[in-house]
Amino acid sequence: MQKKAGPLFYVFLVLFIFIVMFPFLWILIAALKPPSELFGERAFDFIIQNPSFDNFVRVFTERPFARYLWNSTVVAALTTLYSITIASFAAYAIAWLSFRGKAIILGIVLAVSMFPQIATISPIFMFMQSMGLTNSYLGLIIPYTTFALPLAIWNLTIFFRKIPIDLGEAAKVDGATIWQTMTRVFFPLAMPGVFTTAILVFIAAWNEFLFALTLNTQETMKTVPVGIVMFQGMFTVPWGEISAASIIVTVPLVIMVLIFQRRIISGLTSGAVKE
Amino acid sequence: MKRTSMSEKQMGYLLILPAIVIILVIAIWPVMRSFWISLHDIRLNDPTKTEVHNSYGLDMERYVSTLPNLLRYLKKEADSAQGSVKDQLLTLRQQAEHMNAMLRQTGEIASRYQKIDQLLLEFKPVPNELKYVELSNEQIDSIRSTLNTIGTTLNDLGKQKQLSKPEGALGVVQGITASVIEPNYVGFAYYKQFLTDSRMWGALYNTLFFTVVSVAIELVLGLWIAMLINKQFIGRGLVRATVLIPWAIPTVISAMMWKYLYDGQNGMVAHLFEVTGLVSDMGVLLTTKAGAMFSVILADVWKTTPFMALLLFAGLQTIPHSLYEAAQVDGASRTQQFFRITLPMLKSTLLVSLLFRTLDAFRVFDLIYALTGGGPANSTETISILAYKTMFAQMSFGEGSALAVIVFLCVALISIGYIKILGADLLGESGGR
Repeated sequence: MQKKAGPLFYVFLVLFIFIVMFPFLWILIAALKPPSELFGERAFDFIIQNPSFDNFVRVFTERPFARYLWNSTVVAALTTLYSITIASFAAYAIAWLSFRGKAIILGIVLAVSMFPQIATISPIFMFMQSMGLTNSYLGLIIPYTTFALPLAIWNLTIFFRKIPIDLGEAAKVDGATIWQTMTRVFFPLAMPGVFTTAILVFIAAWNEFLFALTLNTQETMKTVPVGIVMFQGMFTVPWGEISAASIIVTVPLVIMVLIFQRRIISGLTSGAVKE
Repeated sequence: MKRTSMSEKQMGYLLILPAIVIILVIAIWPVMRSFWISLHDIRLNDPTKTEVHNSYGLDMERYVSTLPNLLRYLKKEADSAQGSVKDQLLTLRQQAEHMNAMLRQTGEIASRYQKIDQLLLEFKPVPNELKYVELSNEQIDSIRSTLNTIGTTLNDLGKQKQLSKPEGALGVVQGITASVIEPNYVGFAYYKQFLTDSRMWGALYNTLFFTVVSVAIELVLGLWIAMLINKQFIGRGLVRATVLIPWAIPTVISAMMWKYLYDGQNGMVAHLFEVTGLVSDMGVLLTTKAGAMFSVILADVWKTTPFMALLLFAGLQTIPHSLYEAAQVDGASRTQQFFRITLPMLKSTLLVSLLFRTLDAFRVFDLIYALTGGGPANSTETISILAYKTMFAQMSFGEGSALAVIVFLCVALISIGYIKILGADLLGESGGR
């Protein structure tokens, strides 16, 4: 229904964006408020009387927040790198080579992506503990495979299938081996799809909570989501610092979403929407 | 140009092999293992129950470090005792040594005994493969009867005030008793237990309530928003990006944001609700049962409706415009167009996004963990939260795994249900080429 939008529509649109963005707006205000305005009478004021960056500074000076950011970055980046590598080969094979049992393999991959993490946590925890891998990067990267690999295989297979089959045929006629066809012809062409999938895997690994909560309990090994939740003490909740930390994490993600918006949408919808 | 002798088929299998192996090891094996663990009484806070033991065994490390204590204790007491008591104690000591000798008749135990003894002397950790040894029924009977005799005799002597350190008697016997590992297989006991456990049913009810209500709201709102933004307007890109932001933010961080917004004293949303009369008091949101469930659902709806709208919007764009034009020519009303064109054409997109949303909602953990922690009074405790608490707060891994398996089975049932409806649509695509 490609209708032109009326003024009422724009009013609705502004309202919609406001509702979606309101929590962020309010958290930004909270992060800039000094404690005296965060609580008490001024708690509901939109205007900050004495804005300050104290909360942001405290997050880094009084808490190992930089360390959390580093941990999350390392874990998410390595997870992305290795799962994309393995998934690329698998997806190429599923999309382009002919062999039996592909439907079953894709079915298994899809089923695994539906597994609840809680159902795998007890053996994984016991294994990591006996191997001494709790509180290590590897201890998180390994279980992150449970969601990263199915996501990557499924998405990449769909992207790879969009590449015209003639290219492969032409390469074959020219005498290229399967390996050469794959690395010289398809992977360069599939780069946008690979990149899109990488963004999705990175965001998923960055946001993961349950494994990070149970496996990396040491202060210096926590990831950002776990770190922020653990800011709260027994009796007090440092809302100013939580807000500041949330803003620090949110802003890069927002920028990433703004830059890669089209790619992310195509990656998210390719599985669900048939063209 | 180099030619490989490998056929396309072999190459295909080779390329998918790493992925398949990893998926088997990291995802499928743990789920099966979870089920296996759920049949056993495993507790991380009890050293003899940290692993699955299907038969009687001996914790060699404990045994090696405590047996000399028993012998030493008995010798010391015998030295300071007189007459028949002395004889009794010496007999006990002989029995203990006899028991030890009997155990060491098995060559393996004897050699391990030496190795572990050496390691303990050097204050080195004992490796796991040395630690645990299986025992035959005879060996177990012998250990049990010996320990029993020693225990009761010492107890009697203690009561008769014949021992110089009666409190030590209990300690040394218990030390060795603890090194005997009993099989912790319990079968389906946990499953039976949970079937009659009101807390489990409460958690299951909460999970279902949360899933059904939030997914229903998200679907209706999402479809409505998708149809609204499926128009030509200025700022489409901006709207799409805005819609993605809640999706990209870590769930726990958005949960923390909402926790602040709902706060009973300083929360803006709580304040707005009070001002508009939606709630009687700001505190109601997170401190009452209904309020907490409402809060959790609202936070989930905020986070995932935009995502739902996005998927449905993408689906709407694949519907050919000509269909609507034809319908308009035929004089179909807006409602008719919606039910006759939009919904049928959107069916597979709708079902796929519903499937993924339902599963996500059913598995919900982080949102609730960060926002309410399952409270107040377990009113927002979902089955994943209950499983987590059982495993990591009560350290009862067998019990928690049984709950985790229940979550898994429910998820499997939901998926099978959806796939039955979706059927060919979903797998037809993957079966291509």
